[in-house]
Amino acid sequence: MAAVTGVAAFTAWLGASIVVLSDGRRGLALGLAFIAAAFTALAAANGQWPAAAALFVGGAVAAIQRLRSGTDDWRLMPPGSTSKLLLAIAIGVVALWIAVSVSSGAGAPLRFAAVTVLGLMGARMLTARDPAAVITAAAGMALAIATASGLAPTTPAPAPYIVAALIAAGVSVLRVADENVA
Amino acid sequence: MKMLPEQLGFTLLTLPEGRALVIAAAAAVALMVALPPANVDRTTLLTWGAIAIVSMTAIASVPTIDLAILVALAIAVLQAAATGRRSFAARMRAPALAIGLLALGVVLARIQGPTILARFAAVALVAGIGAAVGTLPFIHEFDPDERTATSPVPWLAFLGPALAVAVVSRAGELVPSAAGAFGAMLIGLGLLNIVWGSIASWGTENGAAAWHYSFMADWGLALCGFGLAVADGQRAAVLVLFGILVSRLPLYLWSRQALREKMLDDRPVNLLAAAMLAGAAPFAGFAARVLLLRGATEVYWPLALVIGLGLLLWLPSSLRLGRSLGLPRGRQAVGVGVALGINVAIGVYPLPILALAGL
Repeated sequence: MAAVTGVAAFTAWLGASIVVLSDGRRGLALGLAFIAAAFTALAAANGQWPAAAALFVGGAVAAIQRLRSGTDDWRLMPPGSTSKLLLAIAIGVVALWIAVSVSSGAGAPLRFAAVTVLGLMGARMLTARDPAAVITAAAGMALAIATASGLAPTTPAPAPYIVAALIAAGVSVLRVADENVA
Repeated sequence: MKMLPEQLGFTLLTLPEGRALVIAAAAAVALMVALPPANVDRTTLLTWGAIAIVSMTAIASVPTIDLAILVALAIAVLQAAATGRRSFAARMRAPALAIGLLALGVVLARIQGPTILARFAAVALVAGIGAAVGTLPFIHEFDPDERTATSPVPWLAFLGPALAVAVVSRAGELVPSAAGAFGAMLIGLGLLNIVWGSIASWGTENGAAAWHYSFMADWGLALCGFGLAVADGQRAAVLVLFGILVSRLPLYLWSRQALREKMLDDRPVNLLAAAMLAGAAPFAGFAARVLLLRGATEVYWPLALVIGLGLLLWLPSSLRLGRSLGLPRGRQAVGVGVALGINVAIGVYPLPILALAGL
């Protein structure tokens, strides 16, 4: 089980990094799908099956919706992405340090995944100009907030997972363009 | 046998302070819909007002901080998606920072480890509150010509209070070992905003921006009150937030037409409005300030001295804002009268409001 959660935590970082490094719909959708798959695995590994189902459905709908709209290519690491790549690595290293070295107790993969996705999605929302990227980051952040509720000392109810899944799916359905600017 | 909503974690535990603020928000929306500013459609006001009230209710009602942050995220996306003068990404930045900081604070608070983690959690939570409301150093981008619904004002007046109450009321259980640091940071942030907000409101050239800064100055008082962690401080904070909702926000909306036409006036009604905004007796702001000074004296008397000096800064900016109302006529005059009346009633007898807030 430790191997599964470890791989899931790495997948969450990879997915969040792809969202940060990509500007095209395919790249954003792939990143979001990785994040959703990783969080689903982490919730399932904790025995929270309703939560895992909610995260899977919400993440899948969000990723499919993203695949259907936005810039029509991957646009993975376009020119000028070096700083983003460094950011993705730096946040991953800091999250790993917090999850493994600074903190104690079981659940290091969950801590790493939550901190790294929150950090990278926050950074993406602050730096993005394309509405599709902001919405994808918002969906990823919703899933991360729900997953972080698993760090609470008591077993969390499925409510945060269900609400996060609804938000991830709901915001991905939104079609926002900068033509909205009046 | 638990009901299905309870099994899912949807038991609604309304925070008393949140409940009081929702009622104040409903009163403010009712006042503005009944007596709308010139050239503003009632339906638009009612729609956005209803959205704000529902959002506040959701944030105040959910049983966990995670759900409150998720609700705030959903509202941020919906507000940014509406047609406005700034781009979607620009409007999402400040709420995204707030939500990210609050979520990070909650995660750090839940991680087992050294005390320094709890302190970092407290820093993130306080910074998250500041970013959500849009106080210094996280002032939201403000376009004076943008319509109010899509501007940062709803975060200052509606969502900010609900989110701040949701976080502050849970801070004791989230960061018990850093509760002192949490309170001290709130007071520090509050003092900073009292000084900056009132001076900027006085000095800025743009009238709408002056109102924006005055909201920040009021928020400085509320943050100080929340940070004091004594009953009088909490009472002061609730009264200040009440004042923002039922007085400052309606006056801001009614002043916008006069601001566009640059119609300044110095009549008695303008001076009365200025007195209300400055927190003079017998208005609600006065009761809030007395409670705040009493609470600060209880905790550390030099703090009361600093806050007292800061309160003097309200006078010039309030006179300016009072003038910016122009000469209220028709519905607007009635509205200003009603807002003044409500504010005097709360100032003279604040107990029902405080009882509603469980204080």
